[in-house]
Amino acid sequence: MPVYEWDFAFVLNYRDVLWEGFLGTLKIGFSSLGLGIVIGLGLALMRLSRFWFVKAPAIAIIEFFRATPVLVLLFWCYYALPIVIGVAFDPYTAAIITLGFQTGAFMAEVYRAGIVSIDRSQWEGGKALGMNLPQLMVRIILPQAVRRMVPPFLERSFELMKTTTQASVITYGELLYKALVLSAQLYRPLEIFTLVAAFYFVMLTIASFSIRYVETRLDAART
Amino acid sequence: MPEFQWRWGEMPQYWRSFAEGLLVTAELSAIIIAGALLGGVVIGAMRYSKRRIFNWPATCFIEVFRNTPILVQVVWFFYAFPVLVGGQLEPFLAAVFGIGLNITAYSAEIFRGGIQSIERGQWEAGRAIGMGYFQVMRRIVLPVAVRRMIPAFANRMIEAVKATSLASTIAVADLMWQGEQLANAIYRPFEVYTAVAVIYFLAIYPLVLCTYGLERRFRIDEEVKL
Repeated sequence: MPVYEWDFAFVLNYRDVLWEGFLGTLKIGFSSLGLGIVIGLGLALMRLSRFWFVKAPAIAIIEFFRATPVLVLLFWCYYALPIVIGVAFDPYTAAIITLGFQTGAFMAEVYRAGIVSIDRSQWEGGKALGMNLPQLMVRIILPQAVRRMVPPFLERSFELMKTTTQASVITYGELLYKALVLSAQLYRPLEIFTLVAAFYFVMLTIASFSIRYVETRLDAART
Repeated sequence: MPEFQWRWGEMPQYWRSFAEGLLVTAELSAIIIAGALLGGVVIGAMRYSKRRIFNWPATCFIEVFRNTPILVQVVWFFYAFPVLVGGQLEPFLAAVFGIGLNITAYSAEIFRGGIQSIERGQWEAGRAIGMGYFQVMRRIVLPVAVRRMIPAFANRMIEAVKATSLASTIAVADLMWQGEQLANAIYRPFEVYTAVAVIYFLAIYPLVLCTYGLERRFRIDEEVKL
């Protein structure tokens, strides 16, 4: 077996391309996270409604997005949906819609669990003071619930950052897409993909340590 | 913009493509799940061990595979790994490695978490009456730990089935890949991709319902013990 000659220096000449990809990853990651937070809250509130015609669509969306592969949804949103609505999406829009809804569907459960975990007496206390639902939510329930939501919320964001790589299949220029393009040009797949994997590993390890740190701090604050 | 015409009537005649794809998806899922369960038990036990020669490699393995995106792993095994070993790797095998090792790493953590949730006193009691490591594990720790692991394992298996769709990016002829080919061949992306999404949902959702049932059952079970 011939010994392979590694040549990272050659690949590193193209670090600008990879850097651009990394910025693309951050852009898509944070936009879909923002969208997911909003969609998730909306779905969670709908899910908790007492009216079935509000509740049912929320349940359907949540269950559908949780039980269908992201890759399939990306294709659907990019290639199929525009045909029916008559508006073509660029890869970025299609990706943040898909990832936003997928994250939202998971976030909805996080919100819901957090809201439900707040004791009934808190709701009743608020109502006794004459607060309406939005006031109750914003002033009493959410401030307490948010604490309990933080760890699962961070874990979801972590998962989302990994999922952004799938946007490469609809040609959105994030890190993996740039790496695939570069690899086709340079014929150095081993160095390029090892570099990309290592880069993700370092970034996500730092993220995961930060998440664990926050979790232990929250635990300590609670007891 | 011309009015869009639905052509759902054309879909059933392509059932063979969908069925073939679904079969490959099922095959890939089964191999990955079986491998991940087996590998997860071994690596999880190693991770739980106090001895550094077991603990250290297992920790590295778990951290590497959990802290890199699964698609990067699939791509790496398909494009980079063959260069390293100087050969070719079948797309199907690359997918088994890429997705399988990721799921294995998660399974290992679930397994370790389950064992760790059992009090140390149980181990000591077992050792005190003269049982060996494997005896304590099999007779005392696992019977209780396994029930705690089952919901988490079930969730991870669902993630595994969903992840198999990534194999389509390296040309494994699974359901997603068949869908892409068909959509390009007959120019009906809307009908085809909708059908693919619905088939995935119908295949995966019953599993999700099972996990809901399992979670409910095991939660009640634990509560009764208190």
